[in-house]
Amino acid sequence: MKKILMGNHAASWGVKLSRVKMIAAYPITPQTHIVEELSEMCGDGRLDAKFLKVESEHSAMASVIASETAGVRSFTASSSNGLALMHELLHWAAGARLPIVMVNVNRALSPGWNIWADQGDSLAQRDTGWIQIYAEDNQEVLDSVIQGYRISEQVNLPVMICYDAFLLSHTYEPVDIPNQETVDEWLPPFEPENFLDPDNPKAFYGLVMPDNYMELRYRLQQAHEKAKTVITEVGQSFGNHFGRSYDILETIHCEDAETILITSSSITSPARLLIEKQRKEGRKIGLLKMRMFRPFPTEAVQQILRSKKKAVVIDRNCSWGKGGIFADEIKGAIANLTDAPQVYSFIAGLGGKSITPALIEDIVNQAEESNKPQPASVWMGLKPLN
Amino acid sequence: MSDEKPIIYQTLEEMPEYVISEGSMLWNKTGSWRYLRPRYLNRTPPCNQGCPAGNDVEGFIHLLEKGEPDRALQLILEENPLPAVCGRVCYHPCESACNRSHFDDPIAIHTLERIAGDQALPPMPTEQTRPASGKTVAIIGSGPSGLTAAYHLARMGHQPTVYEALAEPGGLLRYGIPEYRLPKVILKREIDHIISQGVEIICNQKVGSNIPWSDLEPFDSVYLSLGVHQTRQLGIPAENADGVLTGLDFLHSISCGHSPDLGENTIIIGGGNSAIDSARCAVRLGSRVLVFYHRSRREMPAFAEEVSEALKEGVNINFLTQPVKILTENNRVTGIQLRSTKLGSPDESGRRRPEPIPNSEFSVNADTIIKAIGETGDIDWLPPEIQRKNGRIAINMFGQTSQKNIFAGGDVALSEHNVAIAIGSGKTAACAIDAFLHDVDFEAVHAELTIGEKGTISVSRYLKQGEAHKKQLESGKVVSFEELNLNYFKKTARQKIKTLDIVQRLGSFDEVNRGLSPESAKSEAKRCFHCGVCNQCDNCYIFCPDIAILKNSSDAKEYQINMDYCKGCGICINECPRAAMVMEEEQ
Repeated sequence: MKKILMGNHAASWGVKLSRVKMIAAYPITPQTHIVEELSEMCGDGRLDAKFLKVESEHSAMASVIASETAGVRSFTASSSNGLALMHELLHWAAGARLPIVMVNVNRALSPGWNIWADQGDSLAQRDTGWIQIYAEDNQEVLDSVIQGYRISEQVNLPVMICYDAFLLSHTYEPVDIPNQETVDEWLPPFEPENFLDPDNPKAFYGLVMPDNYMELRYRLQQAHEKAKTVITEVGQSFGNHFGRSYDILETIHCEDAETILITSSSITSPARLLIEKQRKEGRKIGLLKMRMFRPFPTEAVQQILRSKKKAVVIDRNCSWGKGGIFADEIKGAIANLTDAPQVYSFIAGLGGKSITPALIEDIVNQAEESNKPQPASVWMGLKPLN
Repeated sequence: MSDEKPIIYQTLEEMPEYVISEGSMLWNKTGSWRYLRPRYLNRTPPCNQGCPAGNDVEGFIHLLEKGEPDRALQLILEENPLPAVCGRVCYHPCESACNRSHFDDPIAIHTLERIAGDQALPPMPTEQTRPASGKTVAIIGSGPSGLTAAYHLARMGHQPTVYEALAEPGGLLRYGIPEYRLPKVILKREIDHIISQGVEIICNQKVGSNIPWSDLEPFDSVYLSLGVHQTRQLGIPAENADGVLTGLDFLHSISCGHSPDLGENTIIIGGGNSAIDSARCAVRLGSRVLVFYHRSRREMPAFAEEVSEALKEGVNINFLTQPVKILTENNRVTGIQLRSTKLGSPDESGRRRPEPIPNSEFSVNADTIIKAIGETGDIDWLPPEIQRKNGRIAINMFGQTSQKNIFAGGDVALSEHNVAIAIGSGKTAACAIDAFLHDVDFEAVHAELTIGEKGTISVSRYLKQGEAHKKQLESGKVVSFEELNLNYFKKTARQKIKTLDIVQRLGSFDEVNRGLSPESAKSEAKRCFHCGVCNQCDNCYIFCPDIAILKNSSDAKEYQINMDYCKGCGICINECPRAAMVMEEEQ
């Protein structure tokens, strides 16, 4: 069934089709539509789930940690400052190895108060142990939520599905909604081996002494390593079942390219147009869409960038005092390659500033015309100095 | 402590994937830490105590809320045979007692009782609760008190015979309360149900007149529920002139289907229910109505709702005015002279006494004057060995007169006159008569039967049978508003009760109050706090941090507390919205 859905409602549909049994959430723009729609689905019986209203995002995360520990498939959604408030518990959810799926609508952190697109919120949670997937369009939002449960329940890691505020959250696009039977065939019910059960009591999350803590954390890292394969397998299996395949990343015209433009989230869509245009002009350019950020697809990125001349990374985020985070991660991934390309780092579109095809073209041209990258990320689209 | 030794992991492979202990903590019986112990204790809701007829109000609301009006009716019928009547004419002291009135608005209990009483008619027969005893009881008067006593005595296995002086049973319900408040068809239905329980009602037989008192001798016991039928005199000149009626005679005449010609202007003297009933009837007959009452609105004994409905219908009420003399021409009323009063010091009823203001006399024209300043019983004919007090039959708190086999109740024996109290007195008398017939000391069991602290008794507790008995309220202590956990309730408007348009009321005796639709009634029932009574809301079960509260299945009616693990933290008590649990010191 095709419907015209805003990104947030595409997320709600993904949750409904995943037969989530427990939703705890606190409203925050631009996420609120997701849980609002879910509360209506719970209210009118379309979704057989417990909807828990809580007093903060911290409580929302605490609640889904509890319900997942009790063996119940759970969901929450947040954004920006709300996600920041969850920080402590994000570590807990991953350390507890709970397959929670959360949607984070990427929104700038304040001050100044800003509700528009910016990846600073989720990238600030980079080291909490969550899988992070960045979706490009509303169809990918819906599909990624469903895949999120299959991935997370295979590797026992929480999954954060991220997409841009307003550019996707409030924008309507045609979305193919799979029917429930098709999803049920593909996504089995959540049946964890261990869960809180009064009839079979076990203790969870107790004190771990120095002799065992590091081993458990090694397991967490191993799970991320495994997730790289699992996310690819799940994306392919999803494609076989639903007709839309996904992978940890996507390449367009990369094989013979000399310059690779690297994007994530909704920036990829205008970048696709630009690449097609420049290819027609005979330029040897390719596009790499980063879908998975954690675990970071080091091996795949190395494979693609090996022996290329230039990698041009656009970041809608900034690690303060350093620079664009995707660019930095890519530099780290290719550091030990003998034939690594130069990495050109650009920051653009913070707090919802537009990233137009023209701006992307500027970025690519600027990189191609340079001999050597600047030591720091270059900020694009700023007002003139004077 | 556990005998299990800690596990030392030697390799990564044998370690669990995440932080989990495969051993349980069941060995740690945290119940040993407890010095306070929670207990489920159903307590008396204020509405139950507030009902003079002794209805299990909370209980029937619970059943209505569950969508089981049949069982709600059954539950009421265990105590009160007249729910459709009470649901219309009772002044609902239960609602004044309702804890919800401190929160938003009280539950419309009165109307919910009416809904229960009106459905599934004729009511399903309640089982006769005891085998036939062969004992006979004569009941004089078929008003609410006599009917209630007869109903319960029949269900207790005795043979009650009710003597009614008038042509039809019901007493004041039949001949005093107008059709627009209580349709005769409703009353008849409930009386028929009472008769079906094994009650014989003999009409047109006035004991002391065409039946001599000595005819009652063969009966094992007698219940006097004569009612009060004599209107007090005004004590002013010409008060029996043509065109002066008593409220009771006027209401009687209307109840018999007559439409007395009142003329253009009718004046009513009095401020009780007969005065207001008379005024509202007179308005319906097309007369212009003025009520004169010698105190202020505060002191009026008439039900406040009746007074405000009367005002809406165009009745004019003048306070602080008392009659001086009736004005006549050829012994025919032409008007009345009155004077103003002011309120002085309180009298024995606690109400401030009206004092005449000198030289404040004035006259008003009238075609009819209706006297309705209260009624007294006609008890002069009773044998002298039955003692009297203050013009009433003297009784003890169980309704027994100075003659141990003769009991009395209702208006003829009580200072406060209303239907619910009359029903309550009929119940007390039925139990006391049953105890007397079985030679049981009623005084010894009485305390266990009282609902709350006000003395209304429960028949089902007396019989130790029926639903109300099963849900025995263990503590008579009434739940106060302060004891509730209001976090679990949200403000919800009381359902609006439909009434007949004013235009439609005038010129007709159609029922004014139209009640609630079944859907609205269910919504209204859902507002009930269920003060002090566990309704399996699961809060204790959900909140117990030790999973020490158990229920066997999702439809379990009761919870158990696993004392091995209950630490006595008190969270269950705190989270119980309705104060149906108590914490007690560990012995």
